[in-house]
Amino acid sequence: MAAPVRSMSSPSGITCNTTSFQKKSRSKLVSIPGTRPSVQNGQLIVSTGVTSLDYVIGGGLAVGTLLLIEEDRYDSYSRMLLKYFLSEGVICGHELFVASAQDHPDEILQELPAPILDDVTSPQPGQEQAQSSDSDSADDMKIAWRYQNLPKVQTALASSARFGHYYDVSKTMSPDMRQASKCHTFYLPEQPPAESTPTSSMSEAYMALLKAIQRVIHQQGFDGSAPQSKMRNVLRLGLHSLGSALWGDDLCCRESPAHSHSLTTFLYALRALLRSSLSVAMVTVPSHLIQSRVLMGRITRLSDTSIALESFRGSEKETNPLYKDYHGLLHVREVPHLNCLVCEVPDTKDLAFKLKRKQFTIERLHLPPDLSDTVSRVSKVELAAGCGSSATGNKHLDF
Amino acid sequence: MLLDVLQGAEAGTFIIFLDSVNFSGRSLLKGYINAALKREDVVHVLELEVSEEELRAGLDTQCARRMYFHGGFADPLGWIKRSSFTVPQFTSEDILTLLTPVQQSKSAVLVIDSLSWLLRHLDPVVICKRLQEIKRGGAVKTIIGLLHSDMHQTSLVGSVCHLATTVISLGPRTQGQWALAKTTKRTKSGKVLQEEELFSIQEDLTVHSRVSHTVHTQAEPDSVEADPMANLTFNLRLSEMEREAKEKVALPFVFSQEKKSALLHPGQGAGQIMYEPDANDDFDQEDPDEDLDV
Repeated sequence: MAAPVRSMSSPSGITCNTTSFQKKSRSKLVSIPGTRPSVQNGQLIVSTGVTSLDYVIGGGLAVGTLLLIEEDRYDSYSRMLLKYFLSEGVICGHELFVASAQDHPDEILQELPAPILDDVTSPQPGQEQAQSSDSDSADDMKIAWRYQNLPKVQTALASSARFGHYYDVSKTMSPDMRQASKCHTFYLPEQPPAESTPTSSMSEAYMALLKAIQRVIHQQGFDGSAPQSKMRNVLRLGLHSLGSALWGDDLCCRESPAHSHSLTTFLYALRALLRSSLSVAMVTVPSHLIQSRVLMGRITRLSDTSIALESFRGSEKETNPLYKDYHGLLHVREVPHLNCLVCEVPDTKDLAFKLKRKQFTIERLHLPPDLSDTVSRVSKVELAAGCGSSATGNKHLDF
Repeated sequence: MLLDVLQGAEAGTFIIFLDSVNFSGRSLLKGYINAALKREDVVHVLELEVSEEELRAGLDTQCARRMYFHGGFADPLGWIKRSSFTVPQFTSEDILTLLTPVQQSKSAVLVIDSLSWLLRHLDPVVICKRLQEIKRGGAVKTIIGLLHSDMHQTSLVGSVCHLATTVISLGPRTQGQWALAKTTKRTKSGKVLQEEELFSIQEDLTVHSRVSHTVHTQAEPDSVEADPMANLTFNLRLSEMEREAKEKVALPFVFSQEKKSALLHPGQGAGQIMYEPDANDDFDQEDPDEDLDV
């Protein structure tokens, strides 16, 4: 049970109705602003702050789960996602917990993007679609009527219902808005050194972080210890760049780290904490620095949802015309299995993202037809044994 | 962009010169020191790899007075207690005490020559933490480190470079006096700027740079694409007349606008089928259960 949503469990009311069928009423659900039950499995979900990312991971982030983000090389887009996640928490009135070892959490909070709250300025995909189809109709393709009315392939991923907000990256959130929501910070260099020697395989820094999280969850009543009359709320945890050298972890520095179980033990304990409370976590990890694939695999398995960002900056893909509209690729490493054996599998694995001023969008990557006669076609012809194998040598067509 | 970095006015930056055995970055480091002294910054050097004399050589003696050496070259590990700085003293407090006697209103530049030496004698995790502390401490405007990339594992180099705001990786000389520098600069907003340049260092330690053309020439395809339409035994091109004739042809299975409107709004003289459904009509011939009233 990832989220304490108990809606249909009460057997009362059977006697007064002639049928045992009961309409699932919305009022019985735990109503917390910024959450809603998932359409697939009824889990209580929150938005990540990026609408298309919500779609990719199956509607949203289930409360009580852990989202792992493998950072891109320069940590620019993963940091952006973390900020979107925290901003969404501020808008929905959730409580925040920000932990970092590099920059002070207050600095991260100051950089939160401003929400686009009035609907007039928000990008409306429907309108844009309509305009583009109007302009297209002038030079319509002559095509058999059977194919004429097929729906256009939509690359941008979005669910039908509105969930989550859009943000303007160029502006920062106003301080009043930011201070409206309660925020706990954890900055590693400011922590007092631990008085006792660590007994478990977890390093001191992670132990301190885990204790801080536990304290917040317990004191603020996210674990259900508070009386029921109190308004329930969700705690959003944003943990920046776990596993980097600044957390005192040598995962990134050595190929065979001395404390290889430190981060995995922490994630295991963190997930147990999340499962038993109304909280949801986003963790970023600089996976490009972690040399050991085995260890990275373990870290992925210990999170519920895992995505990796691969920025084109500095790689040869930057100049590749295929990717000219995008800023990077998004790989879905793991999707959550919640209360079931099978999970929602995304329909395509080829996803790319781009960061626009007002939107971070994830789109299906459609490759245009390959018109050059060099790349893959040659290999295909070579594979086809019988016909045409003589044509590979010379470049002009031979009939 | 290399010259912008050398002129660097931004506070709180951490620059790494990444060199290898093929090309020493020390000359560029001296170029940077020269530029920093010229703009009246105070330069503190942790010399661990070469002597003070060697680093001072070629610098303007007038400017070099604002340059302070914290020697670890003669006795890096403190065995004979002769040096003012030893490797275990690389903590933010000790660095601060080294800087305070000459702390002025001017901004201080900390040059570490080299980070590789520190990394060989201290735990890399500790080095990373202390570098971050010094960078955030505010006493030092800029930290410059020389790192020999071929002396360490790639993961270690990656981790240290991950902390840096600017990484300049230096390549061997391609032609004459020009050497290759690849600058990667991270701005505060998270944007990443990259540029590849050729640079040369003059006798008076001034640095000149120019745009590298080698990258662009590599990107160009070396062989000219053969035109597949060159030697065809048939015609693939259309003249204007032919094109007009082609467009006149009504294609099968195409619902043109005229055809559609003709079907939807039949004209005057055309016949129409009027049909009123009967009670005994069989609506769906395929349905075997239609008489069951379900």
